[in-house]
Amino acid sequence: MSSRPTAIRLDRVSKRYRAGRSRTFVDLIASTVDRVRGRERSVYSLARGKIDATVFALRDVSFDVAEGTGLGIIGANGAGKTTLLKLISRVTWPTSGRVLVAGRVVSLIELGAGFHPELTGRENVYLGAGLFGLTRREIDRRFDEIVQFAEVERLIDTPMKRYSSGLYARLGFSVAVHSDPDIVLVDEVLAVGDAAFRRRAIDSLRRLIADGKTVLFISHDIWNVRRLCDQVIWMDEGGVRASGAAADVADRYMEDVNARALVDPRNPLPSHRGGTGEIRYTNVTVVDRDGRPAALVHEGSPLVVRAGYQAASPVTSPVFQVAIVDVDTGVVVSTATSSPADSPAIVEGSGVVDCIFESLPLRRRQYVLRMTITDADQLVSYDVVAAGPRFAVTAIDGTGSHTADDGEGLVSLSYRFAHHVQVLS
Amino acid sequence: MTTMVAPRRLIDDAERIQPAAYWELLMNLTRREVKGRYSQTLFGVGWAVAQPLATMAVFTLVFSRLANIVSDVPYPIFAYAGLVPWFFFLNAVNSGTMSLVQYRNIVTKTYFPREIIPLSQVCSRLLDFGAAATLVAVMMPYYGVSVTRWAILVPALFVLLVAFTVAVTLLTSAANVFYRDVSPVVQIGLQLWLYVTPIAYPYSRVPPQWRGWVAINPLTGIIEGFRSAVVYGREPDWALLALSASLTLATLAGAFLLFKRLDRYFADVI
Repeated sequence: MSSRPTAIRLDRVSKRYRAGRSRTFVDLIASTVDRVRGRERSVYSLARGKIDATVFALRDVSFDVAEGTGLGIIGANGAGKTTLLKLISRVTWPTSGRVLVAGRVVSLIELGAGFHPELTGRENVYLGAGLFGLTRREIDRRFDEIVQFAEVERLIDTPMKRYSSGLYARLGFSVAVHSDPDIVLVDEVLAVGDAAFRRRAIDSLRRLIADGKTVLFISHDIWNVRRLCDQVIWMDEGGVRASGAAADVADRYMEDVNARALVDPRNPLPSHRGGTGEIRYTNVTVVDRDGRPAALVHEGSPLVVRAGYQAASPVTSPVFQVAIVDVDTGVVVSTATSSPADSPAIVEGSGVVDCIFESLPLRRRQYVLRMTITDADQLVSYDVVAAGPRFAVTAIDGTGSHTADDGEGLVSLSYRFAHHVQVLS
Repeated sequence: MTTMVAPRRLIDDAERIQPAAYWELLMNLTRREVKGRYSQTLFGVGWAVAQPLATMAVFTLVFSRLANIVSDVPYPIFAYAGLVPWFFFLNAVNSGTMSLVQYRNIVTKTYFPREIIPLSQVCSRLLDFGAAATLVAVMMPYYGVSVTRWAILVPALFVLLVAFTVAVTLLTSAANVFYRDVSPVVQIGLQLWLYVTPIAYPYSRVPPQWRGWVAINPLTGIIEGFRSAVVYGREPDWALLALSASLTLATLAGAFLLFKRLDRYFADVI
C-alpha cells in the first residue's frame, strides 16, 4: 500500500465561507468606515442580524490518498464532503493549507452539468468531454464507447431537452468515466438512474480502481461505499472523525447514526393508522433483558418488545404480530405471531403483551417494528402500526470491531467451515 | 496493468492539459451560444444586420440634417461603418457581463480556465460582425465608395477591436460575479458610451478642447481607423491609432491579470 505513489494530498486545509447573504452597498460602506476607524468587527444589520459571520466548511483537514485507492467519504449533510471534492477538483480554493493532486481530475459533482438542452446528445458529448479536457480527436475515438455505455444510441441525434432525467445522467456519467481521468470524484450522483445502470456504474468505477486510478466516492448508501471502496473517511463538522478500512469506519459510522436516530426509544405511535380499532396498541417499547427501554441491542442478546394495548370492546382471541423490518431495504427480517394459547380467550380493557426474542441473530443495522393485531383467522386487522419504534443492533463490545467482513446480509446464521483435504494416492 | 508509467507529480495547480482541448471547448461553447441565440428564430443571423441598419436609419434621419456633419462621403455608409464595430462591442460586453453568472452551473461544478466563458461570448458575436460587415461591401458600390490600399489595415483594426472587447468583457464579467449591480451599470454605461465615441459624428467635428478626452477612449481610434481604411480610403490618424492601440493592450493585460487573480473565488460567491 505504502509503495504506491500519492495521488491526492491535503495539507492542513481549511475552507471558510461567509455565512448569510452577500453584503449590500450600505453594509459595505459601514464596514469600511469601521475598518478605517480601527474598529474592525462584524457588521450588524437590523433586518438580517450579523452579516460578516463566517462558517468553516472544513477545518484543518490533512490526509493522503494513494493511487489506485477507492476512497469512500461518508458523513452527515453539511459535514464538508462536497467542499472536499470541490477543493480537489479546483472548483474552489482553500482559505488556508494546500491541496496537491497528481494527474487529471474529473469531477461528477453533478451529472451532465455542462450539457445544453438545446444541443443534441452527440454535440453534448463533445461539449461535456471538452469540459474535462479532451480534444475532438480523443472524443472521436471514444464516442461509440460512451454512447454504448449510456445506452442512448437511438436518441443520440435528438436534442437533450427530450431526454428523461435518468438518460441525461447516464450520458453525463458515461462521458466522465470515458474521459481518461486519473482521479474521479463522485458525489452522490448514482441515486438517479435505474438499478441496472447503477450496477454498471459501480462496476466501471471498480474497473478504474483496478486500473490504478483513484476514485473518491461520496454516498449515503453505506453498502455501495463498502462495495466500491477499501478505505473510508468519515467527515464530521468539517473535520475527519475517523479514517481507515472501509468496513471498520462504515460500521462505526452506522452505529453513530443509529444511536443518534434512536435517542428516544419510546417514540409515540402514529395516531392515524389502519385497522378497525376494536383493540389498539397504546405504546410499544423495546426493552433490554433488565426491562429498561433500549435503542441499541447487542448482537445475539435477547430483545423484548413490550406493547401496551387498549380494547374498546371485548375481543375474542386476538392475534398479536410483531415484524422486524430492515430500515434501509424494507425487507421483513422476521415475524413473530402470537398463538391463541398465548392470550386470554377474550381480551378486554387494557393490558401489556411482551414479545420476547430469546437471542437476536441480526446484523448490525437499523430496524423498525411493524405491529398488528388481528382476529384469530388473521382476516380482520384491528390495528396496524406500519412504523413502530426503531432499534439498532450493535457489536457486543460496542466498538464495532470485528474479525471478518460479515457486513452483507441481514441475519447471522451460526456456521462453521469444514475443510476436507483429498490426499492423492 | 503490467506497464509501469512514471508516477505523476503532485502539484497544487490544475494539471496543464493540451491547449487544443481548451481551444475546442471555446469553440464548443461558442457554438452552443450561437445555436441558443438563433434557435427558433425565423430571421436568424439577419438580426445581426438589422440592428446596425436600423440605428443607421435613425442616425441618418437625425444627424444628416445637421449642416455638413460629414462632407466627403454619404452619411449612411459613414454611420454604418462605425456602427458595425460598435454593435460588436456592445453586444459582446452586454452578454459577456452576465456570462459567468449564467454558466454558474459549470463554474461551480467543474474546473476549466474561467476566461473561456466570457471569451466564448465575444467569439459568438464574430458571426454577427461578419454578417453585418458583409453589408458594407454591398453598400460601397451603391454609394460609389471604392476600395483603396488602406483596406489592408482592416485585419489589424479588427484585432484591436476584439482585444479591447475582450478586455472590457473580462472586467465586467468578473465584477458581475461579486456584485450583480455591475450588469445594469454596464448597460447604462454602454448607452452613454455610444455618444462619447465618434460614431454618429466624425472625430474631426469634436471641439478641440474635448478631443483629448474623446481620444483616450480606445474605441475612438479603432472606429476612426475603420472609417479611414474602408470608407474614406485614406491614411488613418496614426497618433490617434497608436494611442488607442497602446491603451487597448494595457487594458487587456490589466484585465487578464485581474481576472486570473479573482477567478479562484468565483465558485464561492457566484
